[in-house]
Order: sequence, then C-alpha cells, then structure tokens
Amino acid sequence: MKHIKVVATNTICKEKGTGCGECQTGCQSACKTSCTVGNQSCEQKKTNRSTKVRQD
Amino acid sequence: MVHTYECLGRHFLLDVESGSVFIVDELTAKLIEKRSPSACAKGDFSKYSETEINEANAEIDELIRQGVLFSTQPEHPEPIYKGIVKALCLNIAHGCNLRCRYCFAEDGQYHGKLDYMSVETAKKAIDFLIARSGSRRRLEVDFFGGEPLLNMEAVKETIDYARKVEKTAGKEFRFTITTNAVALTDDLIEYFNREMYNVVLSIDGRKEVHDAVRPDAGGKGSFDKCLANALKLVKARGGKSYYVRGTFTANNLDFAKDILALNDYGFGQVSLEPVVLPDSSPLALKNEHVDGLKQQYELLAKEYVKRRADGKEFGFFHFNIDIYNGPCASKRLVGCNAGDEYLCVAPNGNIYPCHRFDGMDEYVIGNVNDGSWCDDLPQKFATTNLTKKEDCNECWAKYYCSGGCAANSIQLCGGITKPYKLGCELMKKRVECALAIAAIEGENK
Repeated sequence: MKHIKVVATNTICKEKGTGCGECQTGCQSACKTSCTVGNQSCEQKKTNRSTKVRQD
Repeated sequence: MVHTYECLGRHFLLDVESGSVFIVDELTAKLIEKRSPSACAKGDFSKYSETEINEANAEIDELIRQGVLFSTQPEHPEPIYKGIVKALCLNIAHGCNLRCRYCFAEDGQYHGKLDYMSVETAKKAIDFLIARSGSRRRLEVDFFGGEPLLNMEAVKETIDYARKVEKTAGKEFRFTITTNAVALTDDLIEYFNREMYNVVLSIDGRKEVHDAVRPDAGGKGSFDKCLANALKLVKARGGKSYYVRGTFTANNLDFAKDILALNDYGFGQVSLEPVVLPDSSPLALKNEHVDGLKQQYELLAKEYVKRRADGKEFGFFHFNIDIYNGPCASKRLVGCNAGDEYLCVAPNGNIYPCHRFDGMDEYVIGNVNDGSWCDDLPQKFATTNLTKKEDCNECWAKYYCSGGCAANSIQLCGGITKPYKLGCELMKKRVECALAIAAIEGENK
C-alpha cells in the first residue's frame, strides 16, 4: 500500500479459550496508581493461547 | 470506532475494536476523519490530486473489507462474579521511615496508628489466598506498606511458608516488593534478587525533585541513600524484573526530565506516576496542567525512541505496550481486578479491595484472622467492568486502560463508574505515544 503502512492487525485477541486469568494483575507491577492493562503480557502467548480453556 | 492522531511527527491510525495499528500519511488521516461518524468538518483536500485521493480511499476500503478498519464492537458477555482471588497486596507495615509529602497512606499509617503485620496474620493471608484461588495456578503477593523493610521478619517467614505449601496446593507464588530502598542492605539485596519476581524501588527522579517531597523523619532528603542502594540492587539483579518507580507532582511539571534522569543514573526500567490528590493540595495536578503534561510525554517519547535506537536499555512502564502479544479481550474488560481477583490485607488482617482502600471502614470485605468474608463489595467490583463505566465505551483508549483505577473513581469522582478525567487525559496521551513508539520501532526492524 502506498498511503497506509500496516503495523499490526487484530491485536486484541477475542478467540474462544482466552481469559484464563493466569496473567499478572494490573496493579502488582509498577504503577499502583494508574491502571494500564495494555502493557500487561499474556501468559499463554508463548505457547498455545487459543487452545487453553478457562477452568472456572 | 477509529482514532487518528499525530505523534513524533507522524500520523497514526488505531482501529479500536480490532486493535489494528497503522502508520498513515496526512491525506489518509484526513480521509479517515471524514468517514468517522462523529466528523463535523469535511476537510481541505485541495492540495491533493484526484488520483491520490482515489488511491488512498481504495486502500481504506480494502482494509475495511478485511475487517481491520471500522470494525464493529463485539457483544461483550455480562461480567460474572466468581469469588476467585489470585493476588494479594500485603500491607506488611503500617509505618514508614520517610515522610513523603504526597503519601496517600499518610506516612504509611493509613489513617490509623503504627502497626506491623504479625507472621501469624501473614500466614493466614497466604492460606486465604490459596483457599480462594480456585483453579488459578500463579498467585501473586506484593509486600507493600508503609515501608515493608521495616517488617522483614514477617516478609521472610511469609515467603518461607508460601514456598513450603505451594507444591502441595498446586500453586506457584510470585513475590514482589515495593520499597523506598532506604534500609536496603547487601544481605537484603541478595535475598530480594533471589526471591522476588519483581522489585519496585521508589525514586522520584532528579535529586532536588526527590528530596523536596521525600524527606526522612528528620526532614532530610533521602535521595543519596535511595539512589546508591537502588543502583546496587539493580546491578546485582541479573536481568530479573524490576522498576524504579516515582511520582510526579505539581512541583515538577517538567517530569520528562526526571524520567530521563532515572535512565541516566543507570536504571533501564522506570516508571513515573502522576500524583493523585484532591485539588486542595499544593502538589495536586490540575486541569490547567494537562496540556503541558501531554507535551512532556511527547518530549519523552522522542528521546525514548532515540535512546533505544542507539542501543540503550530504556523501558518506561506506560510506553511498554506490546501490540503483538498483549492481553486478551477478557483481560482488557476487567483491568487491574481490584476488589475481585486482587485484594489487600492490612496488618490487622482486614481485607480491602486494594491498597488504596486500606483504613477505610466502609470498604472492609472481611478478615483473614477470623475468617469473615462478605461477597457484597467483591461482587460490586467484579460486575463493574469496562462496559459498565460512564463514557468509557465511547473512548478509543478503553482497551488499554480498561476503565481506569477504581480507587481514583471512588475517592475523587464519587463512584466506581465515574472516570477520573484528568487521569483519562494523561492515559490517552501515554497510549498514543506507546502505540506510536511500537509502530516506529516495528517499522525499523
């Protein structure tokens, strides 16, 4: 494309099986005052995010 | 919904619902704005040829066809309260060896008296966490205060106990500690670097800025001791996670200099948070400061990109958005989980929605010592996710802040559904910068 450079698409994963809850809570890392969730990491990202199913 | 903006001399485009990020030219940014449902101006396209306009429109149409631009909002499921807890902030000491002028905890004592958590209460907190954690495997415990180093015996015994019971319980504990570093010793540094998954060290930036607001009990600035101890810890950390975390106030509206100073001192991972205080405080950030504060984030972003391109280690907590492997949509709806999966335990065993509520009688959920527990507050917090907060659904930054801090909303704005607007403005600017940085760095790889 000449006018648009695609950096990343569909970055917000809505697949079935996400929401396992194993990721870090937003306030436990460094902020303690500003809730930024966008900079948290997905614990499943290195393995199989789409296949792990929430247990509860 | 889409969001177009300029940052670092470039135009960026975010498709909110899909999270897709694009670098666009000025023409495309204008055409996108024209297509936006809320557009009121038609824009001046006189300097572009018809061919250019048609080309850009064709590219936009193609991305819409692919479902990554102007994508529609999915139906988010109604939030459900499950009664699961996976993280505790242990306020192990209600007391502090510093007298920070902006401390929300009133010299670390949380509106009460000097108090230290007993080992017995701390162990009960661990038992409480395991018992309430359902199928969650990774459990987090942050030692907080006050100053947790004032009660290290309880910290060490808590960790020993948790390590002893975690395997049987099928859990894995991750410990973090937030300290002002004043009382750090070589032995403690070795211990923290072995046991703590993350260490948060409090320094506010330049010496004169730090000393003006973080004096010790005798009124003397604490910077020199904090810096020396923090550097020693970080140098011995061996690549493990840490943050040097400070607060900026109306005293240092040029706070970008403080973040850069922290990096100059030798800290690769830093965070500097806007102070949250009522307008009546002389240190409070006010609406008239917002434009200048946004400029500071932009200045910081420019230098941030440069330093990183030069190979310097420099991570700023709020610019650290991974646009490729970030949290899933479910996580983005619930935010920090305060009051639900994340709770705070005070020295007397009282359980609160988070550390910011410690000492507020009306926010006591239960007590780990007597086993008391009431579902009312956790249920309220759990079911008030992003979709229930006023104005958030129409905000382009909603999936990055998740509706913001519940404590700020309740304590400053009169209710959990009411966004803390000053914080929103700063958050949006930080997200703009973070996405721009990720896009530019991705482009250069």
